[in-house]
Amino acid sequence: MTQPAPASPLFWRFNPEVYRLIGIKCKDCGHISYPRTKICHECGSLNLEEYKLPKKGTVHTYCVNWTPPPTFEPPITPVIIDLEGGGRYQGLMTETSTPEDVKVGSKVEMVLRKVTTDRGLNVYGYKFRLVEEE
Amino acid sequence: MSRRARKLGRGVALVGAGMSKFGAFPDKTSRDLFADAFTAMTRSVDKGMDTEDIEALYVGNFSSDLFEGQGHIAPIMADWVGLVPKPATRLEDACASGGVAIREGVIAIASGLYDVVLVGGTEKMTNLPTERVTDTLAAASDTVYEGACGFTFPGLYAAMATAYMARHGASVEHFMKVGIKNHNNGSLNPKAQFNKSIRDLMNSRIEKAKQKGEPVPEWSDELDFLKDPKANPVVAWPMRLFDCSPITDGAACVLLVAEDIAKNFSNDPLYIVGTGQGSDHALHERDDLTSIAAARIAAQQAYEMAGVQPEDIQIAEVHDCFTIAELVAIEDLGFFKHGEGYKATEQGLTARDGSKPINTSGGLKSKGHPVGASGVGQAVEIWHQMRGEAGPRQVPGKDIRLALTHNVGATGGTCVVHIYQRR
Repeated sequence: MTQPAPASPLFWRFNPEVYRLIGIKCKDCGHISYPRTKICHECGSLNLEEYKLPKKGTVHTYCVNWTPPPTFEPPITPVIIDLEGGGRYQGLMTETSTPEDVKVGSKVEMVLRKVTTDRGLNVYGYKFRLVEEE
Repeated sequence: MSRRARKLGRGVALVGAGMSKFGAFPDKTSRDLFADAFTAMTRSVDKGMDTEDIEALYVGNFSSDLFEGQGHIAPIMADWVGLVPKPATRLEDACASGGVAIREGVIAIASGLYDVVLVGGTEKMTNLPTERVTDTLAAASDTVYEGACGFTFPGLYAAMATAYMARHGASVEHFMKVGIKNHNNGSLNPKAQFNKSIRDLMNSRIEKAKQKGEPVPEWSDELDFLKDPKANPVVAWPMRLFDCSPITDGAACVLLVAEDIAKNFSNDPLYIVGTGQGSDHALHERDDLTSIAAARIAAQQAYEMAGVQPEDIQIAEVHDCFTIAELVAIEDLGFFKHGEGYKATEQGLTARDGSKPINTSGGLKSKGHPVGASGVGQAVEIWHQMRGEAGPRQVPGKDIRLALTHNVGATGGTCVVHIYQRR
């Protein structure tokens, strides 16, 4: 229920969003919607353009999930990221030594990683890792 | 965008309310629970009622399909309480299904179509193992984009809690204080799933350890107990076990009638003077994760319709599926300023003897959260409190004339608010 099977039509239908990070920017109100939509979520406009999400951002909020869905190994750190230039993305942190490394406001970037295993198959997607402050 | 002020086509009254016991009942299905609630409701109607009087049924239910393998439950509920062949309709808005069913019942009477409507909610959750319940509840989130990154419902509310702490300077102890308060109320509610205070739970564990000759835990008070990871493990930081509402079987029913016939049923009816409902984007597309926009909109509609202000409301049942949710709710409803709900809770203002008692029933946390029934269960508590029939948990020293219920679906994709008046 929480994860489409890797070979399912649902999974491939959403391929451009999932791997190419294609969202939508409204030409009227500027709202960024991800996943792609045909109608702006914020103002209802049809005047939209495809928008490739940037891979960098900061942690808006997060939790440390000790009771994740069965295909994940706890603890995991799901995050909601404020992307550079606007828009948000929900994902998982990776490559943290302890969950305490993650803070609201931490700078992060997307990397392609195995997300989970579903019915014996690896499912890949973007995760976030911490980046050093410049 | 301009719009006309919304009002009901005619007045609607609440003349009966009852609920099953909330808890885990291996021998009961959703229809058994519904019949229990219906029976309790009929006993509460002062002048009695005849099932023949009821013209239609609206029933809130989230997922009997997944929980019980049973879809299309509205006619079954009608059958189980003797209403066939009256029209029976199921409403689904996740955990707000019950509140939405009340709203649809109100609209049906206000429209003039019906004079007498039964509204109920029912949910049977405990026959699945916890991880499958969590999975079923996760179906109420955006399953493609929220489920795939490991946000369960506790996880989503935990993310709201993290944002709340970062924005307002609250700590995990403030969340714990919501749970302590609601368990204190629930300990006085015989229909509650956990009708024990946190202190009672703590003392019974100490007693058990003594009896077994095990090392006796040295908890100084409830907060100390709740900070112990052995007693209160982290589910999704910052939410621990005692920050989460339980998995519950239960049902609740109310009888709604047109205002002009209310006195035919009840010596002391309540009047539904405000109703509001809103929707919202998925969590990641919202501006502010420390507030639920659908709740603010629903509350504004209800206040406007009733012609009252937040400070006029004397008690409220709010949707505390997680402790953070109560803090967000009492701010969204305008009872306290944004970012100050946790301070108000700490000062005891939301306790039963405070200036704004919240969740006198024990809330979803202690009373239990049979998701599709919870919104109707809230109305049952308001019925008892406003009529002064809440027994040992009756709010002291208040003549309650205005009360409010606030029922949220998922993380705020839906919120429905009702305002009740006693004349």
